[in-house]
Amino acid sequence: MKSKFHKIFILSAGIIAFASCKPKLTLPTASKGRMDPSRYVAVGNSITSGFADGALYYNGQLVSYPNLLAGQFRLIGGVNFNQPLMPSSSVGVGSTGNAPFILGNSTDCLGVTSLGPIPAAASGDLSALATNIFASQGPFNNMGVPGAKAITVLAPGYGNPANGTGFYNPFFARMASASTASILSDALLINPTFFTLFIGNNDVLVYAMNGGAADSITPPTGMAGVGFDGSINAIVNALTANGAKGVIGNIPDITALPFFTTIPWNGLTLRQGQADTLNSVWQDFSTGKPLYNFHADSNAFLIADPTVPFLGQRQIKKGEFILLNTPLDSIKCYKMGTLKPIPNLHVLDSAEIAKVKTAIIAYNNIIKSVALAKGLALVDVNAFMNKTNKGIVYNGIAMNTKFVTGGAFSLDGIHLNPIGNAMLANEFIKSINATFGSTIPQVDATKYRGAVFP
Amino acid sequence: MNLNITKLIPFAILSLPILLHAQGFQVNLQGQAQQAMAGAGTGFILDGSAVFFNPGGVSFLTENSISAGATATIGNTTFLDADNNSLAHTVSPVSTPFTAYAVYGAKDGPLKKLKFGMGVYTPFGSVVTWQPGWTGRFALTSMKLLSIFYQPTLSYKICDKLGVGAGLVIGTGNLELKQDLPVVDANGNYGTADLKGSATGYGYNLGLFYRPCSKFSVGLDYRSQINMSVSDGSAIFTVPSALTSNFPSGPFSSSVSLPSVITLGLADSICSRLVLALDVNYIGWNCYDTLKFNYKTTTSTLQDTRLPRDYKNTFAFRLGAQYHLTDKVVARAGISVELTPVPDGFVTPELPDANRVNYTIGLGYKFCSRLLVDASYTFEDFSRTDKNTALVLNGTYKTYLSAAGLSLTYKF
Repeated sequence: MKSKFHKIFILSAGIIAFASCKPKLTLPTASKGRMDPSRYVAVGNSITSGFADGALYYNGQLVSYPNLLAGQFRLIGGVNFNQPLMPSSSVGVGSTGNAPFILGNSTDCLGVTSLGPIPAAASGDLSALATNIFASQGPFNNMGVPGAKAITVLAPGYGNPANGTGFYNPFFARMASASTASILSDALLINPTFFTLFIGNNDVLVYAMNGGAADSITPPTGMAGVGFDGSINAIVNALTANGAKGVIGNIPDITALPFFTTIPWNGLTLRQGQADTLNSVWQDFSTGKPLYNFHADSNAFLIADPTVPFLGQRQIKKGEFILLNTPLDSIKCYKMGTLKPIPNLHVLDSAEIAKVKTAIIAYNNIIKSVALAKGLALVDVNAFMNKTNKGIVYNGIAMNTKFVTGGAFSLDGIHLNPIGNAMLANEFIKSINATFGSTIPQVDATKYRGAVFP
Repeated sequence: MNLNITKLIPFAILSLPILLHAQGFQVNLQGQAQQAMAGAGTGFILDGSAVFFNPGGVSFLTENSISAGATATIGNTTFLDADNNSLAHTVSPVSTPFTAYAVYGAKDGPLKKLKFGMGVYTPFGSVVTWQPGWTGRFALTSMKLLSIFYQPTLSYKICDKLGVGAGLVIGTGNLELKQDLPVVDANGNYGTADLKGSATGYGYNLGLFYRPCSKFSVGLDYRSQINMSVSDGSAIFTVPSALTSNFPSGPFSSSVSLPSVITLGLADSICSRLVLALDVNYIGWNCYDTLKFNYKTTTSTLQDTRLPRDYKNTFAFRLGAQYHLTDKVVARAGISVELTPVPDGFVTPELPDANRVNYTIGLGYKFCSRLLVDASYTFEDFSRTDKNTALVLNGTYKTYLSAAGLSLTYKF
């Protein structure tokens, strides 16, 4: 009897020990399928470079979507992915020499203190742009260059300071192999076996960010360096010349970016007395009637519109955008939007929006046909943007395209924050897996932050 | 015109988890002998735990008794994220649900058909702690749940073959839930939500026990739905200082409905030494439709939480056997099948429930006619792959659950 108990005791102890083990689940094997990640190059613009919060800086570059992709490619035999990193001690620098934004408190002209984007420093790190790092750090796998367009990827001397201010790209000057190099020629230095190409946003975005008052939309058709289709074809032909496979991203509807959607068109809140004053100021002098119907509560801002006869101004309509770079103090304290129209530079009106959307549709048709013709994986960034606009959830984290609070875009309202980059990288991975039969695991996006709050 | 970011923040607390242990409520850690027989005990009256299993059968107990027992329970779950291949383990501590039963009645005289019973038991309880930094931490980092139910009971033997019983159930409970919030400060610290509260609720337990002959018996038991209400909850949010006004810590209220359980139980003596018992539970999980948290102070950021759970009524089948090895030693074993109430798309990390098959064994030993000891061991191994619709958490959970318990009974 005693020995029977003894056996039962040992059996029980064994079972308990087994049950207190961690249950095992087998990781699926990561495989590369028909793609070869051994020499990966990323060609693109600021989004590809890791630019965020209005600047290029070290921590932003570390979470660029190509760098996150390269991290996953390491699971299937990918190796080194060299980025033109800014010094880790540098605050970073934006396209106007500015420092990146951080969230902080600032006091406006009314003396009201509130939380919003403020510069991390008085000035960006211009010295970092003044030094070419190719000899010490190149060649680079990440050929994302802030400001690059489809039509400029092929431009020789795009990074040559000798061209003079405004005629070269200082971000490319910092990393170019030679004064005559183009982004594309430097990408080919890698002799890529695989590439990501996400270019064309700026071909329409620069125009839109200037309220249609500066720059121009790249025409969908035209030769390389002039039109979108000629340029994309030339880039893809060069990248695939040695048999490299690749993935191409299409252009999202940029008018859904927080840069355009954050300031409400009808954000002009008036008391009745203020409305009466405005109505008495803005009169049709021939009839003596008010030009605009200002009223208590929320009103449409007054914007400049040169197409309006005589007046050159009107109230903004629903669906038109006041840009995030509009000086808010001018609105709050200096009568912009009420007694003075918001300048054209800060407004994207319906005619301009139509031009932007038409161009994006044309670009995306071109991208789709190139992807089809060349057997590239296609990332429908546009569809992903539309989905995000309605709201997405990742492992319990809800995100949308709202400024700061949406959790996916950085403080410039254009570029992604770290978790946004991880979500974009995952879209690339899904598309690569579907096209090339690979089983690359997605990035764990929960490891990457959204906005940083003080 | 104001661009104050904090006024715009619409972060929803998306994912505060459920309060109870799904079928875990039905794990039946309410008596060692019954645990050893896969939880069957409604048609087979063994001891004072009949207070829980079937108050109608309490009147059939020939002796007065008091008993006490505890079960060391450890659950380990591993999660494999189907999208990003990240693996996570729970690091849950051992929990020890306990039971105590007393049965008393006059052995002869006019009141000999009446028995008084008292049960104290822990009908649901769970401790789940996920490893730090796991991919689902914005849904749940840990949950602790303890409940103690008190059940004063009266049982009356209508005739030699039929007994009825009724118990009033007074439920008390404590819970604590923690999750990370997707807001981060300059040092990289994420916000956290910590919800604590105690709950109370009332219900009843009705039983009917029929023994037409000495070989065979049948029992029918109905445990009512119990609405556990949390009135004094305390929500503590730790967030970056710029967001403290968006996430005001303070009281919350909530309530959770624990399901009704109808059980039909049979027991049959195959021979003098062997008894087989079968319980079939029908569990009214439809009551668990939505989980609500009402915060005393809400903001545009912190809205009352409404989480769809959408549980479905379900069955459990429990088959147990008891064999007298000697006069003093009985061996028991059982197997149960518990069907999950959690529909596809609703599996959550605090209880990654699945259809379960449980295996149980146990021993009873009679030191003397008055003192008995019973031991049991239960093992479950189940896994489920699901994509939670609300969390978009997609992957496979695999769980080992192990429960070893011991009880002492003194008869008088």
